[in-house]
Amino acid sequence: MSAEALDPLIHVPARLQIVAALAALPDGDQLSFKRLQDMIELTPGNLITHLRKLEEAGYLTTSKTGSGPASRTSVALTHDGRHALETYATTLRGLLNGV
Amino acid sequence: MEPREAARLLAQTQADARRSLDFRAPWVSLVAAVVALASFGIVWLNVRTQHPFTGPSPVSLVCFYALIALRIATVIYAYARARTGVSGQSVKVQRNEAAVMGAALLACYLLLIAIATGAQHSAGFYWSLYLNGTLIALAAIWAGRSAIHKSWQQTALAVPVALIATVGAIAGPRGMWLVNGVGLCALLLANAAIGTSRRRGGTRTHTVRAGA
Repeated sequence: MSAEALDPLIHVPARLQIVAALAALPDGDQLSFKRLQDMIELTPGNLITHLRKLEEAGYLTTSKTGSGPASRTSVALTHDGRHALETYATTLRGLLNGV
Repeated sequence: MEPREAARLLAQTQADARRSLDFRAPWVSLVAAVVALASFGIVWLNVRTQHPFTGPSPVSLVCFYALIALRIATVIYAYARARTGVSGQSVKVQRNEAAVMGAALLACYLLLIAIATGAQHSAGFYWSLYLNGTLIALAAIWAGRSAIHKSWQQTALAVPVALIATVGAIAGPRGMWLVNGVGLCALLLANAAIGTSRRRGGTRTHTVRAGA
């Protein structure tokens, strides 16, 4: 098994951190954009770019509530996203055990 | 990114996220241990030399409830800090559980006040009933809730609280303050130590696995 077996969408430091942080929440919970940004210390622009890629792949969903300055964007991991992280972790374990 | 580096980053992010989102941090338990010892200790110092049925002085009870309020404030602070930005099902469940616990606390007090005012007995006896009855009832509810959620660490904390309160009730109107104070302090210190060791152990295990 080689590193190519790892999901390329998750196998990027920033996206791995996003998915891992969201996976710490129970199923059905969402995290605000601001809190996620504080947790993984990315710039807003950088975070938006990575979130968009993960959302396009169906790994997470974003929802916006309110409008204007009071608006709030929340992010949640989907079942596909959680499953993808589990598969990624299993593959990673296999790779490390094979080293 | 090297697989080893990815494993380290994954483990570190997961551990940091869990720690950041968990309001039951060891420092909360540590504060609770100090509060338990200080609050029950102050009243015990007040009642230990007097007649068992005299009951605690108003000053010692004010100190006692002020310290309990401090404990509640630290939990609210820790919860607010950990759950900032989190929304969804688990938040609703936790709010409902807090409401149930609050209602249970109120119900216990109302029931025990009704019993006390309906009978002609001494204050000291009923203080032990109020506090230990409330502790036993709340600990039993919390143990049941934790068992339903298969949260065994919380169950393992709630059951000894009920046991300490039972022993405290048996110890009588003076001894209960000492038994509760020392018992709860020791239990909460052990809980803080276990929490700290688990957090350190969790990070170490992940790091070792990542570096294997």
